[in-house]
Amino acid sequence: MKRLLAVALGVLTAIGGFVDIGDLVTNALVGSRYGLSLAWATLIGLVGICVFAEMSGRVAAVTGRATFDLVRERLGPRAGLANLVASFLVTGLTFVAEIGGVALSLELVTSVYYLLWVPLVALAVWLVIWRVRFSVLENVFGLLGLALIVFGVALWQLHPSWTGLLHQVAVPHKPDGEGTPTYLYYAIALFGAAMTPYEVFFFSSGGVEERWTRKDIITSRINVFIGFPLGAALSLAIAAVSALVLLPVGVNVDTLGQVGLPVAVAAGKIALAVAILGFVAATFGAALETGLSAGYTVAQYFGWQWGKYVRPREAARYHAVVLLSVLAAVAVLLTTVDPVKVTEYSVVFSAVALPLTYFPILVVANDPDYMGDSANGRVTNALATGMLVVIVVASVAAIPLMIATKAGQ
Amino acid sequence: MADGRQLDLQLQLLDRQVVDAGGRLVCKVDDLELTATDDGRLLVTAILIGPRALGPRIGGRLGRWMAGIAQRLSTPDRQLPPRIDFGQVTDIGTAIAIARRRSEVDVAPLDDWVDEHLIGRIPGAGHAS
Amino acid sequence: MRASDLIGADVLDRDGRRLGVVTDLRCVQDGPLRGAMATPRVAALLVSRRHTGSLLGYDRRDQQGPWLIRRIVRRLHRHLLEIPWTAVASYDGQITLTASAADLTGH
Repeated sequence: MKRLLAVALGVLTAIGGFVDIGDLVTNALVGSRYGLSLAWATLIGLVGICVFAEMSGRVAAVTGRATFDLVRERLGPRAGLANLVASFLVTGLTFVAEIGGVALSLELVTSVYYLLWVPLVALAVWLVIWRVRFSVLENVFGLLGLALIVFGVALWQLHPSWTGLLHQVAVPHKPDGEGTPTYLYYAIALFGAAMTPYEVFFFSSGGVEERWTRKDIITSRINVFIGFPLGAALSLAIAAVSALVLLPVGVNVDTLGQVGLPVAVAAGKIALAVAILGFVAATFGAALETGLSAGYTVAQYFGWQWGKYVRPREAARYHAVVLLSVLAAVAVLLTTVDPVKVTEYSVVFSAVALPLTYFPILVVANDPDYMGDSANGRVTNALATGMLVVIVVASVAAIPLMIATKAGQ
Repeated sequence: MADGRQLDLQLQLLDRQVVDAGGRLVCKVDDLELTATDDGRLLVTAILIGPRALGPRIGGRLGRWMAGIAQRLSTPDRQLPPRIDFGQVTDIGTAIAIARRRSEVDVAPLDDWVDEHLIGRIPGAGHAS
Repeated sequence: MRASDLIGADVLDRDGRRLGVVTDLRCVQDGPLRGAMATPRVAALLVSRRHTGSLLGYDRRDQQGPWLIRRIVRRLHRHLLEIPWTAVASYDGQITLTASAADLTGH
């Protein structure tokens, strides 16, 4: 019974933790402009993150080695360093977006200007990382993030034509009047929002923090294969309500308030309050994960002791990196850059950086010296190789499309 | 133990995590020291650590800069990169295990400095959570 | 000296012809016993025409997946040579061998 509860907790945390500011903004934005005709990109991203996280989790459980540790080992110090710089910058950008997201959510509740919230949020993020136990940190915000289920409720309240929605998903049709390059650009953005690198850094490092062994592979798989798809369903619900409420009136989402607007329209003020609670929980949780991951990447490249499972004094350099990242993120936000815009860029750059970390994990997951019997089977490999091709295509196409479409205008 | 076993340095030793007797993470194998014997054999004698070992492997201006800074910051009695004698190695697997504990192997002066001047001063630094 | 002095170094045969670069040092643990293990001794150089980094282990195991990556890595390093350490005449910046390319590669 206890085991069942633990597994259920893991799944619920995975669902609530799946959605971050990137998913919130990108799905709402795309829904308000393209309806559900880009849902296929979210679904492909879902398959990708499931494959990636499953491999990383399995590697962490069998070898006790986290993702970035293996990146340098397989790619060598030079390519590994280039990889570190790219991954750290993307994770840092996402960190900025998440802290900004928490501040914007608090502004929605209190009408206090978001910049005044930023330093407080950053302090809270750092304090939680410093003092709160890893499992508590993971579970509390994951569970609170389930408040976002209110988007599903709102969708229900709108009484949509379910067959109509399903048709949009299954038979993608680029709306007339929208260019193909922009359509593809947003496909990559959705893909990057579903497959952010920090999720994998956090998932595998978290596995090591929680001392996973082979026995935990099953739990890890349940979290991934049940939790993530349900989380993706939430993302699609966000896109769907946006499509049903905002698309007909031509409102394009560019503020966090507009992300929540369809919920208020469909299900009233209390629902909106729940949605905002969900925003705060999801973005705060994601801020914790990205903050920790900024430290994981650097520490794992250099071989420093990292993690919350040891006393901070034993992992001094790791905690210093996390602290400096928090300060840097605040500094960036204080330049009054729009967090929503930062979010839009962060998901695209996530797609660009993906192959760098995916490839080494794919190689390690196949290495019999490392994995023994737990190495990738044929089916996993077929799927994983297919995803590799998709990831590389998305990564290569992202920047040219960004330039060509002026970041999705 | 493991006599006659084949070892490819780049594949199995270099850039691998070094773990101490208590399971704590120590460093990466940033480079390896090779010593030539009188009878023409070339033996692997130590693990080399830190920016002075890693810098040349990264190469280019960045690598030289890394190594240069570390050289300038080091005290006169520590001119060569820190080393762990290969005799300390107890296992070569997904990580390289060594016989001693991290605190006994003086390989992370930066960590000690950061601990002393920054992290160690923040309340709560002594307990894991 | 260091492993990094040899890995990445150019390899020339007796006549000065460039055979490639060292991608790895193949060692055998049959040196003097130190602590718990026998000291590894450099037994051979793995030399590849291209400098595209590590072989990632695909040369050692026939069936390591995934298929696509194995094919690509094998193709990039299809002229891989394993040259015994005894064939090395000198190693100073670049590595010169005692034999000629013809002796080593068979053509």
